Amino acid sequence: MNRYRCVFLMGVEQALEYRVSFLLSMLSAVFPIIIQTTMWNYLYSHSDAAAVFGYEQGQILLYALLANIVTQLVSTGFEGEMNEDIKMGGLNKYLVRPIEYRGYQFFRFLGQKIPRLMVIAPVMVIIIAAAVWQGLALSAGRVSAFLISLLLAVILNFLIYFCVGLLGFWFTDVDKLFGTISIVLIVLSGGVFPMDIFGGFWEKLMQWMPFGYATQFSVNIINGRLDWGHVGIGFLFQTGWIICFACLGHILWKRGLKRYAAIGG
Amino acid sequence: MITVEHLRKEFKYYKKTTGIQGSLHNIFHRESLTKAAVSDISFSVSRGEMVGFLGPNGAGKTTTLKMLSGILYPTDGRAEVDGYIPWERKEDFKRRISVVMGQKNQLWWDLPASDSFYLNKCIYEVSDADYRNVVEELSELLDVRDLLNVQVRRLSLGERMKMEIMAALIHRPDILFLDEPTIGLDILSQQKIRDFLKIYNEQWKTTVIITSHYMTDIEALCDRAVIINQGHLVYDGRLNEVNQLFGKRKLLSVKTSEYFGPEVWGQFGLVRKIDAAGVVLEVPQEQVKEILSAILSGLQVEDFTVTEIPLEESIARFYQKGVVMP
Amino acid sequence: MKKIKRYLKLMGVFSKYSLMSALEYRINFVTGITVEMGWMIIKLLYVAIIYKAGTNIGILTPDHILLFVGTYMLMTGFFMLYYGNFASLPGMIQKGELDLYLVKPVSVQFLVTMRRLDFAYLLPELAAGIFMIVLGWHLAGLPVGFVPIAGFLFYLLCGCLLTYSLFLLPYILSFWTISVGGIADITNALWDFNNMPSLIYGKWFRRFGTYILPVFVITNFPGLFLMGELSPFGCFWGAAAPVIFFLLTRRLWKISLKRYSSASS
Repeated sequence: MNRYRCVFLMGVEQALEYRVSFLLSMLSAVFPIIIQTTMWNYLYSHSDAAAVFGYEQGQILLYALLANIVTQLVSTGFEGEMNEDIKMGGLNKYLVRPIEYRGYQFFRFLGQKIPRLMVIAPVMVIIIAAAVWQGLALSAGRVSAFLISLLLAVILNFLIYFCVGLLGFWFTDVDKLFGTISIVLIVLSGGVFPMDIFGGFWEKLMQWMPFGYATQFSVNIINGRLDWGHVGIGFLFQTGWIICFACLGHILWKRGLKRYAAIGG
Repeated sequence: MITVEHLRKEFKYYKKTTGIQGSLHNIFHRESLTKAAVSDISFSVSRGEMVGFLGPNGAGKTTTLKMLSGILYPTDGRAEVDGYIPWERKEDFKRRISVVMGQKNQLWWDLPASDSFYLNKCIYEVSDADYRNVVEELSELLDVRDLLNVQVRRLSLGERMKMEIMAALIHRPDILFLDEPTIGLDILSQQKIRDFLKIYNEQWKTTVIITSHYMTDIEALCDRAVIINQGHLVYDGRLNEVNQLFGKRKLLSVKTSEYFGPEVWGQFGLVRKIDAAGVVLEVPQEQVKEILSAILSGLQVEDFTVTEIPLEESIARFYQKGVVMP
Repeated sequence: MKKIKRYLKLMGVFSKYSLMSALEYRINFVTGITVEMGWMIIKLLYVAIIYKAGTNIGILTPDHILLFVGTYMLMTGFFMLYYGNFASLPGMIQKGELDLYLVKPVSVQFLVTMRRLDFAYLLPELAAGIFMIVLGWHLAGLPVGFVPIAGFLFYLLCGCLLTYSLFLLPYILSFWTISVGGIADITNALWDFNNMPSLIYGKWFRRFGTYILPVFVITNFPGLFLMGELSPFGCFWGAAAPVIFFLLTRRLWKISLKRYSSASS
């Protein structure tokens, strides 16, 4: 037994310096969820919130739990690097190689998702299982719709941020601006709260604008807020926006490259 | 002004053993080792003196300087600077000293140096009149009058170091500690800073302690050198007497168009190194001229240089000889 | 008194220099403001939800909550003003950059934690915070007079000191261990609990956040005092906690600095 104790202690000691730090960082991500669930519970028990916000209590709580995670899953981070490549001339090495920059960024983005997925997927499964146990009605159809929408959301978010990253061709020193853009986009995509709780205008906006399809749409499939009709329309919008941003990215990329070549990197 | 007695500074670190066994062992029984950066140093400096700390990298000269300026606590021993114990860090003490470190800057990067001077004026509570005078006088001496309002990041390394020194002198300290002030500078800038320090020390009778591993720095500035090696004080006295302790010798590097063996070079002096590119000879200083002319007349010489014996080597020899000053 | 004057003067010089330096990089300064505004949107969403639900939280009407969140924003601005210095402390310690601060005849803690001030983050929070406080004050019909205003400002000031002390503590640990990232993340996340008035949380949680890690004191006490809802002990604690925690940081700072001077080379 003693030997295992030693090994355990050794592991603890080694992990102590960095891994505890990492875990605490992860834990700190839980705090906003606690704040939100506390707030929703309070509001739902003290007012007719369901009528005001259009979400059942269970739906909104599940939303609070999942939105953060979905945001994590779709989040990018390569736009800063793209900007660097454009500014410092790192792009050159992709232009002369038989490798496509967009493809390179996309597959690397997917690759980097894998380790994160290994943490996120179990957490998501646990949360959803707990919700089912609490009485959430869930069919196989919904789960698969959720997973498909999630995959599409990852692609859509990639394309949106790829376009944002391409702004580096036209603006210099946009590093901090990326911070602003990503906060605003997270809010608009429903990563903090579902934006359609704010009623009429926002509900329409969320339906017509691309951002909600990066987070809010997927979560609302699994928590049962959207009926099948709306899910179908949602998929149409999601796919439509993916095509739009793919085209936009293509145009921006072509124009940007021309500019890049003209200036000489 | 400064008295140092048996000053000692040890650093603790943990022994790392490799492998699982070692790691396991470490958990319960971490072996802590101590390394003495400064072993046992005693000396004293009187007011207005300019003393150079010499020694190879890691000899303990910077550590000593940091203890004297109050940045580090010693492990053992005593030091008194201007009547204060430095590491008590009394405010009055801090007002009397100043520290410049060649590797660290205290100026505001994006602002003109004059703004950093003004900040120091506020920190040290220098009166307006004194402040004006000191800036006037120092910028004249350092020849940086036109650069006072240029952002620090636009200055050259040499100009920046001048500004660093100026910032350190705004409050007219009694003692100035300089740690490698000429590191990384070009020869001309080094020369200018040396000239300035010399004049400043003479004019204001400021006590200056300077560390450097450039022998020329210390040679030009200080009558007195304290040589530190491996934490020990190995020499304390006039610098030009150091080489005389071994007899003055110089290094003569010669490049010839064809290769000659040691048997040829051996007749001119002690052969230190020999290869296709040339030869390095060690010769007595007073014979440099005649040996050189003998070589020039006898062999096809392409190029030659005469240099000092590197300081590290002098000190190493010093140390081997076991000459430790009382 | 003379000492205080001197430190205030130094604060003035630091402010001026920080602002001048920041204006050297105008685009960065502006984008810094937009990033902070992005974060403000999230705080405003909470207020929007409360107004939409239209419920009171305990004794607090939505107008009161507007004032509370305004206080929170104002405090965030002041915290962000010098937070960059905290964040750079671990790096400075590791690289031994504290040396030149140790020989200056001013408090080292003051120099290290106050030398760089970030006005890009302060300005938007300050503007929005003051606006929300004044609006909430007016809408809630709270008393206007010398005592309410002076008391409110007094507890704001106490809150500033408490913020400084409480959030410096984890960074002082960087004198002792290599990585404080996690600890810092988690204490910073604690700050977000002030997104909502403390009354929304459970009794024990509220007590913990008031007396053990008094984050709630910072943004709740000014408002509570104004409403006349601060008990006599509350009035005392609101003034005592900052002093206690400030003395604690002073003590810990001195001990840690001694360690720095003994251990580093």
